Amino acid sequence: MSKDEVYHIVQEIIMEILPDVEKENIAIEKQLKDIGANSIDRMEIVTMSMRELNIKIPLMSFAGVNNIEGLVNVLHENVNN
Amino acid sequence: MLHKKSIGITGMGIVSSIGNDIETFTHSLQQGISGIQKMSNTAEPVLAVNIAAEIRDFSFAEQLKNLKNIPEEKVKKAKRLGQRAPFVIQTTILAALQAWAEAGLFHNKVASERIGLVVAGQNSTQNYQYKLISEFNENPEYLSPRYALEFLETNQVGVLSELFEIEGEGVVVGGASATGNVGIIKGHQLLELGNVDVCLVVGVPADLSPLDMQGFINIGAMGGKTYNEQPTLACRPFDKNHEGFVYGQASTSIVLETQQSSEERSIASFANVIGYGYYLDKNSSANPNLAGEEKAMQQAMERANITNADINYINTHGSSSPLGDQTEAEAIYNVFTDHLANIHLNATKGLTGHCLYTAGMVEVIATVLQMKYDFLHPNINLEQPIRSDLQFCGNTAKKYTIQTALSNSFGFGGINTSIALKNNK
Repeated sequence: MSKDEVYHIVQEIIMEILPDVEKENIAIEKQLKDIGANSIDRMEIVTMSMRELNIKIPLMSFAGVNNIEGLVNVLHENVNN
Repeated sequence: MLHKKSIGITGMGIVSSIGNDIETFTHSLQQGISGIQKMSNTAEPVLAVNIAAEIRDFSFAEQLKNLKNIPEEKVKKAKRLGQRAPFVIQTTILAALQAWAEAGLFHNKVASERIGLVVAGQNSTQNYQYKLISEFNENPEYLSPRYALEFLETNQVGVLSELFEIEGEGVVVGGASATGNVGIIKGHQLLELGNVDVCLVVGVPADLSPLDMQGFINIGAMGGKTYNEQPTLACRPFDKNHEGFVYGQASTSIVLETQQSSEERSIASFANVIGYGYYLDKNSSANPNLAGEEKAMQQAMERANITNADINYINTHGSSSPLGDQTEAEAIYNVFTDHLANIHLNATKGLTGHCLYTAGMVEVIATVLQMKYDFLHPNINLEQPIRSDLQFCGNTAKKYTIQTALSNSFGFGGINTSIALKNNK
């Protein structure tokens, strides 16, 4: 699965969790909190993405992530492994 | 001694099997429409009873869109808070928005720290949890982090206080099948104490898991045996062929407000809560208690400073349970012996099913609507009354003016409650 495909899935999940956010306002370099996600929304975006991509890794793996791209990178590294 | 305050109902809301707003619910009461049907859930395991008065074809987004007189920013906020929340929270948000709008609280505001919140509900996440178990057993990692908020009953307090910007006290109260009445009583007490001027009381629907259903079947409380194939006939309060309660769902809300506050805001109150009885018969079991029920009704009248001659309507607990109906009918006979000719009775559960934790609120709302529109809703399945000395409403609605009413609710664990209401027209 390409990084773009992973990003597309993450985008869909963000829109599901944050119904007020328009797709064009989501950009890979942005931080989730900048588009209105609180800490629980952010954790939910992570667990839902893991589920969607069938990834099981410790949540600590996302510790250094500080924007959407970082999240997509960790997911992408672990998808299909 | 507390100074006695006049406390009224200034807003009401409902999401139920017979109406997702007060207008539709009123129409269903007038027409005697039953919400009891075959259950929509076809999940395994198949249970012996599969009829209920469920909130059907529920769509949070759709109903939110259809609500009237809700400011745009509140709709947005409600959507944000409710869209991914469990079913029961979605329904309480909708019921509460209706009552808040009717009480004029969006525009004609009250200081937020003078508003309290009582959530009447217990075990409200049973089915939500049950549905998560199989996936959890496979993949515990994928459990939503939101679960840690949502399995707490007090999540309702958080969600509703955020939505309505309530800063007074907020609690969850339970009282088995009397939970709805307990919620109204606790809200009333907050107002009497002077802690708040307005109290939003919200009733959380029972979302029973198959486990809970089977428990009620095994304890012998649930009806629906003879009439499993004719669901609308199954709930028969005070009829000789009653055979247990039929499960119903409803989310409810009532705004209680001191007369001083509603007058200052120029908001009408439809009815006053003038007294309540809350009596424990110290019993850990499920059986009703004659003396306990009598005392609850007497206490309600004493607190209201009225006598049994003042009551002209009783909304019975009437759950269609043989022993329950018989005990309540006897209690009413004993308390009102000389005045039975003035008193009409009906049982709302015949139409709504037994809404368990919200039954008390459903029935107070039904009582207030009957006061407002001068009618008594029918007892659709009452063909052979268990007593001939009580005036039960027949199988069609009746024109009638309720002046002063009692609304009874009794629950497992020896809980007996009764609320006295006065028509404000």
